[in-house]
Amino acid sequence: MLRPFALYRPSTVAEASEVLAREGRETSLYAGGTEVLLILKEGLLRVTSLVDVKRLPGLGEIRSENGHVLIGATATHRALESATVVQARCPMVAGVARHVANIRVRNVGTVGGNLAFADPHSDLATLFLAFDCVVRLEARGRRRELPLAEFVRGPYETAREEDELLTFVRLTPWPAGTTGAYVKFGLYERPTLSVAVALMSGGEGGAITGARVAVGCVGPRPQRAPEVEQRLRGWSPSDVVRHADEVARLAARDIEPVSDLHGSAEYKKDMTRVFVKRTLLVAAARVAGRRQDEHERYPHTIIV
Amino acid sequence: MNAIPIRSSCNIRFTLNGRPVELDVRPEALLLDVLRDRLQLKGARRSCDMQVCGACTVLVDGGPVSACTYLGLEVDGHEVLTVEGLGTEERLHPLQEAFIEHGAVQCGFCTAGMLLTAKALLAEEPSPTLGRVAEYLRGNLCRCTGYRKILDAILSCATPGGEQR
Amino acid sequence: MSARGRFTVVGQSVRRTDALEKVTGRARYLSDLELPGMAHARLLRSPFAHARIVRLEVERARALPGVYAVLAAPDFTWCDAFYGPALRDRPLLATDVVRYEGEPVVAVAAADEATAVEALDLVEVEYEEITAVTTLEEALAPGAPLVHTGEPLAGHFSDLATLKSKPGTNICHQFDYTRGDVKAAFAGAALTLEDTYTFPRIQHYSMEPHGAAASWDDEGGLTVWASTQNPFSVRSELGKMFNLPASRIRIAVPLLGGGFGGKTYAKLEPLAAALARVARRPVRLLASVEDAFRTVRRCSARVTLRLGFQADGGLLAVDCVADFDVGAYADIAPRVIQKGTYTTTGPYRVANVLLHSNAVYTNTTPGGAFRGFGVPQIVWAVESMMDVAAHRLDRDPVDLRRQNLLAHGEEFAPGDTPVDGKLEEGLSRLAEAIQWSQAPPAGRARGLAVMMKASVAPSVSEAIVRLHADGSASVLCSTVEMGQGARTVMAQIAAEVLAIPLARVMVVPPDTSITPYDQTSSSSRSTTMVGRAVQEAAEDVVDQLRRIAARQLGVTTRGLAVVEGAVVGGDSRVSYPDLLDFHFGMRGGELIGRGVVAPGRTAAPLGGSTPFWEVAMGGAEISVDEETGAISVEAYASVSDVGRCINPQQCAAQDEGAVMQGIGHSLYEEMVYEGGQLLNADLAGYRVPRAADVPLRFDSQFVENGDGAGPFGAKGIGEGGLVPVSPAIGNALTRLTGVRLHELPLTPERVWRALRAQRESKEAPKGDGRHV
Repeated sequence: MLRPFALYRPSTVAEASEVLAREGRETSLYAGGTEVLLILKEGLLRVTSLVDVKRLPGLGEIRSENGHVLIGATATHRALESATVVQARCPMVAGVARHVANIRVRNVGTVGGNLAFADPHSDLATLFLAFDCVVRLEARGRRRELPLAEFVRGPYETAREEDELLTFVRLTPWPAGTTGAYVKFGLYERPTLSVAVALMSGGEGGAITGARVAVGCVGPRPQRAPEVEQRLRGWSPSDVVRHADEVARLAARDIEPVSDLHGSAEYKKDMTRVFVKRTLLVAAARVAGRRQDEHERYPHTIIV
Repeated sequence: MNAIPIRSSCNIRFTLNGRPVELDVRPEALLLDVLRDRLQLKGARRSCDMQVCGACTVLVDGGPVSACTYLGLEVDGHEVLTVEGLGTEERLHPLQEAFIEHGAVQCGFCTAGMLLTAKALLAEEPSPTLGRVAEYLRGNLCRCTGYRKILDAILSCATPGGEQR
Repeated sequence: MSARGRFTVVGQSVRRTDALEKVTGRARYLSDLELPGMAHARLLRSPFAHARIVRLEVERARALPGVYAVLAAPDFTWCDAFYGPALRDRPLLATDVVRYEGEPVVAVAAADEATAVEALDLVEVEYEEITAVTTLEEALAPGAPLVHTGEPLAGHFSDLATLKSKPGTNICHQFDYTRGDVKAAFAGAALTLEDTYTFPRIQHYSMEPHGAAASWDDEGGLTVWASTQNPFSVRSELGKMFNLPASRIRIAVPLLGGGFGGKTYAKLEPLAAALARVARRPVRLLASVEDAFRTVRRCSARVTLRLGFQADGGLLAVDCVADFDVGAYADIAPRVIQKGTYTTTGPYRVANVLLHSNAVYTNTTPGGAFRGFGVPQIVWAVESMMDVAAHRLDRDPVDLRRQNLLAHGEEFAPGDTPVDGKLEEGLSRLAEAIQWSQAPPAGRARGLAVMMKASVAPSVSEAIVRLHADGSASVLCSTVEMGQGARTVMAQIAAEVLAIPLARVMVVPPDTSITPYDQTSSSSRSTTMVGRAVQEAAEDVVDQLRRIAARQLGVTTRGLAVVEGAVVGGDSRVSYPDLLDFHFGMRGGELIGRGVVAPGRTAAPLGGSTPFWEVAMGGAEISVDEETGAISVEAYASVSDVGRCINPQQCAAQDEGAVMQGIGHSLYEEMVYEGGQLLNADLAGYRVPRAADVPLRFDSQFVENGDGAGPFGAKGIGEGGLVPVSPAIGNALTRLTGVRLHELPLTPERVWRALRAQRESKEAPKGDGRHV
């Protein structure tokens, strides 16, 4: 049961921003509602109004722009999964969107809502880091763009100013010859750990020219592993296989997990090692032309 | 700017189980309560109340939503299907028939959600594998059946020919 | 039964009689009930595990328009505000002290939910925290703070008239049993094992949470609609609290969206009734799932077990000390500890037994009945240790168990019912079902466990069958339908005996003003006890029909049988409508048959002899992802000795559900408390099994020797399938990795820790059962 609130349905970003500025903490942004309506029900948030952003023009779009993929904040996970431009330019995103939460949340929940809520256990935030994601924040008369890593500050904390809306998310598709893998692990509703790996190479079996490695859900916010990415450069897929565990330890070293229902910090650290390793192995096998994950099945694990 | 003041209602029109409906609802009214209390359709049920269990599942434009965490006014201009619209005693939907036949119903509290979710799945993928059905039902919990007979019932409605149901 | 001597509808997997309403959404549960002028109730719950209430202001809430009643403990001057089936230790609302996080403190009835919520916002409560005891260690420590001070009255169960608390401690009941000479036996044992196992706090998670609605009539009579498994117990409780005779209280029970024991004994009904009285209008009180976590749970336990074996593997002695954490209020936990501990020796023959269990209060959600009723907690220990023994004696685990099984007809305990099943047959079928004699595939191992459980005794079940003038029949019995299919089974039994089509039998919903007494829909007893009462009632009608036919045809009753809605004998056939017409001299009237099943008290240790033994066995084949510790149950087989499946499909359905619930507490489920605060009181934090967790190979089998005391040789089913799951998985884990865990659930982290400890230790060859 929800306590009464007014509902604003602005048709421009300026209008929306005005309400946010005027109402301050008495209001909240609302798109799919899968997060905000839940915390309202639970009494963790109290507002006297909601600002519905679903009527803002263009915010539901998913399109290509200057070589990037632009995702409107009110695009649902479902739309992301089926968008042709996503399937063409960054298919891993479609694959991961397919496994967020459950079918109902995917139907209704939005990309912008997910990122702006900054749940530490967000699949999308982890993956988007591997796509050099930039978020666009707009308010009355101003607009700025922030790398996702700067936007997400901590659990449920973002850099969004009170009167700003997250309007778009821009991903940089990986160059041709990139092989990706995404693995998430967990028993509970939200993942305990997720790893996104992208290996850029010249072609099948070729040496790795660049890498993206992102680890999320296990710490207060998702993060890239620059040392690991550096280490992978110049390696062949079999180098990756040989050194996967060692490299994974490097990634785990930089993670600061917190003990919670998902597990102790110690366990999470070790699982970071395990799953960075496994994701690297999957990616390396794919680079070499083999789909390792067809033969590997790990419990409570989704491999995209 | 379009706005509904606090404690005011707005008028919504939607299609419910094939029939047009018009209602005045307040912004905070949850779809589940609108269906159950205003429209007397009790098939969708409140269990976990947090989008995890699926007992409140209804279809909006063919897609499953958690009615417990969905504003009623969002169905304005859309098509809503509840279990009452899936089939009747005189004309059961094949899924309803299959659930009965396979013994996939025990306490019945999860049943409406399971049926509608299965319908959405088969509309999209007429011939899913067992693993795919189990995966699709990630958000539909059952505490009585142990799922086995529910999975059997749904698979029995999968059509090799790709025919939509 | 048909003249041809075989069953027409019993033993068939007929469609559930309530399936249609459930698949079309027409089924009605408590939360669907709307009464004219009904008020909506909400509860304010304590945020603290243990605290004094120093200030409570409700006047602002009372003054809110649309509020009909605001109640707190001081308001109950007009009734006896304490209840509880074993100990009447539970106040309607917290008195001067709150004893667990979530305990109701204030109750509101208002015109709608929104107003009720608003009213609660206006209530002011000030607490002063007291030290809480939230673990067995804390609660049993010398000088521990007491959850309860003062002596509560005994509740309403005769077997608990001898409640035995330990004054000055948190122990509210103790159970003791002994036979033989345990000391001498252990002295002479070739192998003695001793170990301790713990079982966690588990939540039922019926998908429909608790609910009750109440209404008082102008003559002071009370009607309560309740999502309850035992309406007569609720009636008894309300009678005492509100000083009403049973005849003035009506408890009506709709379909339940699950129960599993969590809806036994009074839960929300007393509060609903109190609110309705003060509000002077009907009141409906619904719990949310989060509320259910704070209403009842399974009793957690710490079981220390000592087993003594002869060199040849004969189980010589069992010594068990079990501490059950029963939460802040006793509910039916005193009986849980008795029943659970009583069958510690399970299906085995053991001459020397010493059992002691304690029901221990803690400042947590009250522990009550839950599928298995104390047996899963004990069997987790016993069946784990049977495998340890097998390893130490260098014996095959199936073989060691087989050697010690009780035989058909053998005595379990003096005075109690002899074993009514062929346990050896069940074990053999299980071994075959899990391919025990063949090596498992690489990376997999198998484990098994067996269990035997008593049903509640003494108990009483009565039934009435009414044969109408048109030959259709109504069955009146108070078995509650919570998904298990009891209504269908009762219809099948009546239809079989009366020889009429199933579709012409109607089972009337339970209503204490209409349907006769049944003790409880729990303890796997309904088919056996109520089913037999229905069978007897139907036989009573058949007897009357035969006598009428004898008169009508001018013959003796010998040679007269009922077939397809008529009495036949020789060349004659008279339909039931014609018989009634003849009998009453008009087209009207009905025949009423009655069945009473009441075995009464006996010399058995628990005061009554179990009507049947519930026997179940389970085997699991697992794999382990050693890097994460995650266990996968690749295959599971369950074998239950049920005497006769009245409805085979329903039996399988119940068994499959029981096994998955067992997998739940074995691998995933646990209520996590931190300093008295429940951290995971919702479905995001409390992980129940999902469709993808079902083992790929899953086999439910039944031993049907027609040797049960129930109708057509049936016995009980429903709880057994759940019990062997955890030790079967635990035993498989040991056989696969060499580690043995003593606590549940076997989460990936726990297994990972155990494997790490094993690796780090220097002396741990595989398979030695070394425990962690």
